[in-house]
Amino acid sequence: MNRSLQRTVRWTPLGLSICALFGFMGAAWSDEARLAFIRTPTDFTLTSQDDNAFRLSSLRGKVVLVSFVFTTCNGSCPATTHRMDLAARALAKAGLSEKVHLLSISLDPARDTPAVLRDYMRLYDIETKRWTFVTGTQKEIDKVLADWGMWTRPAANGQLDHPSRVYLLDPRGRVREIYDLQYFRPTWVSEDARLLLNETEKR
Amino acid sequence: MNSNRFLAILLVLGMGLAAVLTTSVPAETCLSPFVKRIERPERYLYVFCVDADAKDNDFLAVIDVDAASPKYGEILYQLDLGSKGNETHHFGFTDDRTHIWGCSLFSNRIFVIDVASDPARPKLVKAFDSAKDSGLTGPHSPYAIPGRMLISFLGGKDGGVPAGLAEFHNDGRLIRTLEMPKDAPYGYDVAIHPDLNRMITSSFTPPKNYRKPLAKMDLKQFGDKLLVWDFRSRKVLQTLTTAAAPLECRWSLKKDAKHGYCNCALADSIWIWEGDDGDKYTTRKLCDTGKLPVDLSQSPDGKYLFVSCFASDEVQQWDVSDLKNPKLISTVKPGVEPNMLHLTGDGKRMYTTNSLLSTMDRSDDFWVRLIRVGPEGMKMDPKFKVDLTKFKTGPARGHDMLLY
Repeated sequence: MNRSLQRTVRWTPLGLSICALFGFMGAAWSDEARLAFIRTPTDFTLTSQDDNAFRLSSLRGKVVLVSFVFTTCNGSCPATTHRMDLAARALAKAGLSEKVHLLSISLDPARDTPAVLRDYMRLYDIETKRWTFVTGTQKEIDKVLADWGMWTRPAANGQLDHPSRVYLLDPRGRVREIYDLQYFRPTWVSEDARLLLNETEKR
Repeated sequence: MNSNRFLAILLVLGMGLAAVLTTSVPAETCLSPFVKRIERPERYLYVFCVDADAKDNDFLAVIDVDAASPKYGEILYQLDLGSKGNETHHFGFTDDRTHIWGCSLFSNRIFVIDVASDPARPKLVKAFDSAKDSGLTGPHSPYAIPGRMLISFLGGKDGGVPAGLAEFHNDGRLIRTLEMPKDAPYGYDVAIHPDLNRMITSSFTPPKNYRKPLAKMDLKQFGDKLLVWDFRSRKVLQTLTTAAAPLECRWSLKKDAKHGYCNCALADSIWIWEGDDGDKYTTRKLCDTGKLPVDLSQSPDGKYLFVSCFASDEVQQWDVSDLKNPKLISTVKPGVEPNMLHLTGDGKRMYTTNSLLSTMDRSDDFWVRLIRVGPEGMKMDPKFKVDLTKFKTGPARGHDMLLY
């Protein structure tokens, strides 16, 4: 940078600080919704922990919190399931249990049979009325993972590497928020779920 | 508490502890906190390269940075981006570290590059005109949020202001666009603190101005504002004033910190934003730096800041343990006009390039060099010198970098 320019730029803060005299006008929104519409996942049918067919669209009309875990994970999955459990408690406290369902999709269908899922749910003392675990064939799970932008790959420690996202669906089955372990507070889930339910009631 | 729940909690505390610890330790400090960390030393360095005379296609260079490799320090591969004159600039990983999004300041193109399938030979998955859907121009910082990319743009529809932010799904589909407020219409960088639910954005100048040669740029068209946002609601809470051109935004990595730093490029200084107990933020100058501070990095413990000073050809290391008394403890001279800095997750190696913008560079000697960071401060690694002037297509301006 030449010297004349350097001299000039030293005065720039003074000139620009005039802008500070004007009040804040607020950011303009092209989307009025606080929780933007992110995408609509394709409907799927998998197998629940009770060995029954479970269709995602059967949850239409409810807010749905979706996680992807596998029962033998010693990485992020126990923490994800624990956070989901805390969210379930926050939802119950807010009186939203009837209107919000939790869904956990297995990332390891070969090992996560319905019986294994039932054991996992018992271990976490999970109430099956509000929270469903699903599995399927490898092909079925792969198709769901691809649609949701999820993936698994073998990790160096013999485990599965995978993203640890948790998705929030509105009562129309649309993804409206994506959390992860860094960005997940049970009260936020409860607030976001209420917002989506109120939005539906206004329609 | 029943026995099952007790066992489950033990499971979380035991088996899940490693994961919780892992997720609480950030990846490289200049990256979004949502980006997956690599739990091993780096093997590949990706450099976003502008063909220097804009006659050939821009590209991504893959450099071997595996210290045990016989090809250490060599350029292994060039990914042709299929177009020229883009002014390829900043890089960002998606949250799952499988794809790089690369932004172009002149063409508005965003390149989506798969690095997970074969890290040594990345593949171009998609190149799209980010202005077409978003109505914004000059895409600058690609910043990962869960399942999405948040992009800060430097300009509005016609290359002027207001600038804005746009969110894209990881597959490239636009989710929404946010315009900057009319009284603080400039855009540049973005930094999110998930625990505080706060996002900071900074200010540069719009495409209409930065596309001009340096001598013809209008210096009154540079911002001097930081915006404090409620991240969850994407709403601006406060407009803060700094000196001219606050660029890179870095939240402090010190435990429980509610402050962060930015380099004010046109005022040769680092500024700090600080939140009080009532969640109100203020700004003040932290320290004077060398000339034209253009990039800012931070040690993993938050104790040190590293700033590249483009016009005085130096990189400075500041001890910011005491925010009332920051100390310059180390300086290196990597060569002419050092610019981007990329510090490894362990805080020991810092890669640097030396192109800012094709309209602002004053040298034709482009390179990638390595700064070793230790208890004694910074030292140049004399063995690591990657020459970016000897490609078949001629010299290339290397700007942003990412590690794999």
